Amino acid sequence: MNPTPPAPAQPTADTVLAEVGDMLRTVLAEYGDDDVAIGMSTTFNRDLELESIDLVTLAGLLEERYGQRVNLAEFLAGMDFDEIVDLTVGRLVEHVVWSLKTTQAG
Amino acid sequence: MAMVDAGGIRLHVQRTGPTDGRAPHATVVLVHGLLTDSLASYYFTVAPAFAAAGLDVVMYDLRGHGRSERPPHGYTLDHNIADLEALLARLAVTGPVHLVGNSYGGTIAFGYAARHPGRVASLTLIESEPATAAWAAKLGRILRRVTTELAHNERDALAWITAHRGHNTARLARGAARLARETTLGRDIPASRVLTEAQIRAVRCPVLGVYGGDSDLADLVPEQRRLLTDFRAVVLPGHEHSVLVEAPGTVGGHILDLVGAGAGVR
Repeated sequence: MNPTPPAPAQPTADTVLAEVGDMLRTVLAEYGDDDVAIGMSTTFNRDLELESIDLVTLAGLLEERYGQRVNLAEFLAGMDFDEIVDLTVGRLVEHVVWSLKTTQAG
Repeated sequence: MAMVDAGGIRLHVQRTGPTDGRAPHATVVLVHGLLTDSLASYYFTVAPAFAAAGLDVVMYDLRGHGRSERPPHGYTLDHNIADLEALLARLAVTGPVHLVGNSYGGTIAFGYAARHPGRVASLTLIESEPATAAWAAKLGRILRRVTTELAHNERDALAWITAHRGHNTARLARGAARLARETTLGRDIPASRVLTEAQIRAVRCPVLGVYGGDSDLADLVPEQRRLLTDFRAVVLPGHEHSVLVEAPGTVGGHILDLVGAGAGVR
């Protein structure tokens, strides 16, 4: 038995990717499509065929999991239209990891 | 995701506001456009800046659109205005609101303002116009194309759209075709009751028109100026009908200027 409680796990790209992947499968399940390979280079638009309203649902799932530290609306509002169309899962994962580390340190 | 019962129809609503604990200065209600549109066009564009500016921001999916319920019938403009009335009553939004409408959403917002002049503090019409006989005829032509070319010859139409407009537009068009096929929207909207000139003139709150410089709708500016007592227009060169999602920073800034003038937003 370890007498000291474990330090809070640093969120890593791997753990966040697994969690974001589960959220995306939840969103895709609405289309009867919940068995999709999701990796860092998967694109929301072309590969997953997500519509912008699906990203609103994803934003809600991200907030449920990570609280207001991760705000998808603000993240995307900073991008231009073409950037959003080309957005990858990896870019979101990196943003989540960064947001969690920043707020932890601050 | 919040589903709200608005007088017998379940509408998907998203609401955001100041995150620093300040009480909001005013409520702004954002109404999206037809067929391919949803509240996402605001959620990921102007909504975060409006919340940061201290506003209570209400967005919702129109019936049949986004995550809202899709009844098979009931898609006239009056249905959409009644939904907005019921939604604001349900959300207990009682004070005058700042209404923003994109495309058909602006036609709904204008219709609401014409019915309830005392409940609207300002009106922003993005690529939009009040419901007139000319508007109904134009929507009829557009919707006839959607229901004939797209809904009944979907494979060829989508192949053409993919080749000429890209994958993303084709996917949106597929959703539009589904909505047109599953509901009476294509017949209902052109059959909507329209406003008389006197009813349009009765809207006396500040009205901001935002247009893409390459859009036909910019031609409406002189007519709106003739009819409305407090009308200002912003024409953004290099944009067409999608000016809201293409230039959200500029569009949002003009709306905040308008709202701030009426509500003391910092």
